[in-house]
Amino acid sequence: MFIIFKMKPIPRRKFIRDTALAGGALLMLPSLKACNVTGTQSTANYFVKEFGIDDALCQRLLAKALSKGGDFADLFFEYSVQNFLGLEDGKVNQSYGDISLGVGIRTVKGEQIGYGFTQDLTEESMMSAAATASTLCDMSATPVDTRFNLLKTSNYYPLTPDFNGIPGKSKLPLLQNINQKCFALSPEIVKVNAGFSSTLKHTYIVTSDGVKAEDLIPLGFIYSSVVAERNGKREQSFYNLGGRRDLSYYTEDVINEVARKSVTNALTLFDAIQPPAGEMPVVLGPGVTGILLHEAIGHGMEADFNRKKISTYCTMIGKKVAEPFVTIIDDGTNMNLNGSINVDDEGIPGKKTVLVENGILTSYIHDKISAKYYNVEPTGNGRRQDFQNYPVPRMRNTYMMGGQATPEDVIKEAGNGIYVENVSNGQVKIGEGDFAFYVSQGRLIENGKLTSPIKDVNIMGNGPKMLTNIILAANDLTMDHGGAGQCGKSGQGVPVSFGMPTCLVKSLTVGGTQQKGGKS
Amino acid sequence: MSYKTEQQLNLQELADWVIDQTKKAGAGDCRVSLSKRRLVEISYRDRKPEVIKEATTKNLYLEVFMNNRFAGKSTPDFRQSTLTGFIAEVVDNAKIMEEDPFRTLPDPKYYAGGITADLQLNDPDYNQITPENRHSMVKTVEDACLTKGGDKVISVEAGVYDESFEEFIKSSNGFSGSTKGTYCQAGASMTAKDEGDRRPAGYNYIGCRYKSDLPPFQDIGTEAAVRTLDLLGGKKIASTKIPIILENRGAARVLGGLFDPMAGANIQQKRSFLADKKGKSIGSKLLTIQDDPLLPRGLGSKYYDGDGFPAKRRNLITEGTVNEFMVDWYYSRKLGWEPTSGSVGNIIIPPGSRSVNDIIKDLGRCILITDYIGGNSNSTTGDFSVGIIGKLFEKGQFVQNVAEMNIADNHLQFWNKLVEIANDPWIFSQARLPSLVFEGVMVSGV
Repeated sequence: MFIIFKMKPIPRRKFIRDTALAGGALLMLPSLKACNVTGTQSTANYFVKEFGIDDALCQRLLAKALSKGGDFADLFFEYSVQNFLGLEDGKVNQSYGDISLGVGIRTVKGEQIGYGFTQDLTEESMMSAAATASTLCDMSATPVDTRFNLLKTSNYYPLTPDFNGIPGKSKLPLLQNINQKCFALSPEIVKVNAGFSSTLKHTYIVTSDGVKAEDLIPLGFIYSSVVAERNGKREQSFYNLGGRRDLSYYTEDVINEVARKSVTNALTLFDAIQPPAGEMPVVLGPGVTGILLHEAIGHGMEADFNRKKISTYCTMIGKKVAEPFVTIIDDGTNMNLNGSINVDDEGIPGKKTVLVENGILTSYIHDKISAKYYNVEPTGNGRRQDFQNYPVPRMRNTYMMGGQATPEDVIKEAGNGIYVENVSNGQVKIGEGDFAFYVSQGRLIENGKLTSPIKDVNIMGNGPKMLTNIILAANDLTMDHGGAGQCGKSGQGVPVSFGMPTCLVKSLTVGGTQQKGGKS
Repeated sequence: MSYKTEQQLNLQELADWVIDQTKKAGAGDCRVSLSKRRLVEISYRDRKPEVIKEATTKNLYLEVFMNNRFAGKSTPDFRQSTLTGFIAEVVDNAKIMEEDPFRTLPDPKYYAGGITADLQLNDPDYNQITPENRHSMVKTVEDACLTKGGDKVISVEAGVYDESFEEFIKSSNGFSGSTKGTYCQAGASMTAKDEGDRRPAGYNYIGCRYKSDLPPFQDIGTEAAVRTLDLLGGKKIASTKIPIILENRGAARVLGGLFDPMAGANIQQKRSFLADKKGKSIGSKLLTIQDDPLLPRGLGSKYYDGDGFPAKRRNLITEGTVNEFMVDWYYSRKLGWEPTSGSVGNIIIPPGSRSVNDIIKDLGRCILITDYIGGNSNSTTGDFSVGIIGKLFEKGQFVQNVAEMNIADNHLQFWNKLVEIANDPWIFSQARLPSLVFEGVMVSGV
């Protein structure tokens, strides 16, 4: 499941209390949090220096976690500070923040997991969490390495040297700037909400097989949500830019882009007609439409679903699943994207994994448990929301390589159908392979040309069928640079991104309200 | 200054200390919420434990109001030695905000009339649940699911989850409230063999406040298998306008599209298609939606809302007419309205008199919608579109399972198509909805 957050932050206790009614989408609301970053600038030995987490202590905790046996154990320390500033009715009048601190301790035996966590980094509390994890097993102790080698990783989200010294007040003008620009762009804009979310997370992973890995992870986004009014009708639009970046990214150009996109998208919707219903050709515009890959194939390729035989893809490795021009990649190594990772949450370096190569299904997305099950190298996809959760295979940045055609060729080839410009969320049923994604904005394609705008339509398909139905791709692969998108699985949200060239899918089910060929 | 250790403090004492320190740090007003939660999760697959998880969490959320400026921040660190710095930081955050005359604590007159009844949110027998009980419960659920699923089973995952929590909230202008509660859940998901490469997965997870209110564990597991087997052979049919029934347990997925636009924030921010509909009809006479936060043992029951206002029963929509919006203190001031409450408790639609089976016999060709996929609802315009999974019937006879289909409409038209309400409210949810019957809804397929 994929959701782009648009809402204002909700304090944690309200979040717990108020969302049970709301169904899948709202259950994924984050407590957007905010940002007077404290702590040191350097990642080196952060948890040693700040919390006294030295090798000897880690060795004792791991020994406790494996005191009743198990294949391996690991420790995941986390300290993060999230900050959110919000503008409404012309004023930056909301500041929300959240501090997260703790350690998760996992004992693994085969495919079984024992897990304990604590927010209290005293040895007594951590030993208790390790003891909880150890209850999974009932055998003699497994030995733990006594030396931990620091993992050397690349840095896909370097921070500017002074990222830690920027006062919170300097962010207020960014939001005021968006507000002014949105109103200046059109007299039809009647409301503007803008927000800036930023997170800085320190992580430290120590494993019983002798690896330790540190990371310092930025994440943030700036957004504009506008309401326009014309002849008594209202339309809203949301746009955000961000990723694993520090404040230096949010330049005047970025502010302009966020304001311009949100306003022009809202105004376009006044001309939107009711979308058609039924099967038809669908052209995916470049960029965020890569959500189609995320839902239609990405989740199904997560190896936990396959080792349990519950994914529709579990018998398809090595088989032809798409036309030869189709190559689909899940990549943790893109610079500054939402799903980029220097190291995953099990201590495996960020990597690039080819899921489909020239039409052949090549690799699942693995964590350490599934990699051992399949006897392959881990792919660096073991990710978790935070220390309160154990890692499972998760996507990073998922994209399809571009083809030879031009975008115009692709639209022309579609004949009559719809063109998808912007999407807000999606979902998949792993076993059936059936997926859906919600188009917030698009256009009709009539006689090979883009015509009337359409909006608010769910598109359905079946993953394996859809892959074989990708019949043309353009040479314009574009990555999505939003920072607000999260993938939800097993109750855990992690940031991800997508990429897509303009691409034609021969047939998908469009969930509109009009019989095909009809207009409102 | 001498500090107490965390163990020496109870939540009320800590709240008093935080308020005192926050005011000393320069805040005019403040509100602090403290909570603790103990959770246990056990799941099984292939008749052995797959996950055993157990932990305690705690959280302190501080809101600072000073000179019409506001900031809020949370931390898990209850040590007074570090809270002093935390409090100073939240106060500093508030200082840099722009002035907003509506950002204040509520007028204390709205705190009056606190709930004294026992809402039975806390299972007195909760602490008697042992690790052995939990393993036994999961094994029973798993075994029942495997047995009912038979040779169609590819995989079954069964699990139990339970938690106990307590919170204490206090404001500097006279509100204080506390809640202790428990929650127990048991269920299973099953993946089944189907035609070709399709492996439909169904599930049945049941949760409630008291463990003794859970259905028999064997029934929970059996129902998970039945709901999965009901998905076999699911295919889409031709796009058509047709009667639909939203099954009770999932109906909130569609009904939820009415709640966002009833929120004060969306009304004030012009993101609500219902903003001008108070006192006006937006649906069939059959549509009555009540908010009852005082239901004993209700999953949405509460003593007070986020502003500290006592929870109260209310009619949100009566016989199709919008009666009351959900307006919290802040947006009530911006709108110039009286506050109601910004959040709901338990959502009730009064049940009808007939069973779903009886209704289906009279509907001709219709689809019973049992699950959803994707979709969204636009709170500004009322347009929605969502993927559906369900069963097609013809004159009361089952025809086929349907999948990969979609319904779409605008809420202002859709709720006028409500023609009957079944007699089966789903009690294991904050939304206690019966199955809802609509006519003439656009369903997309082939």
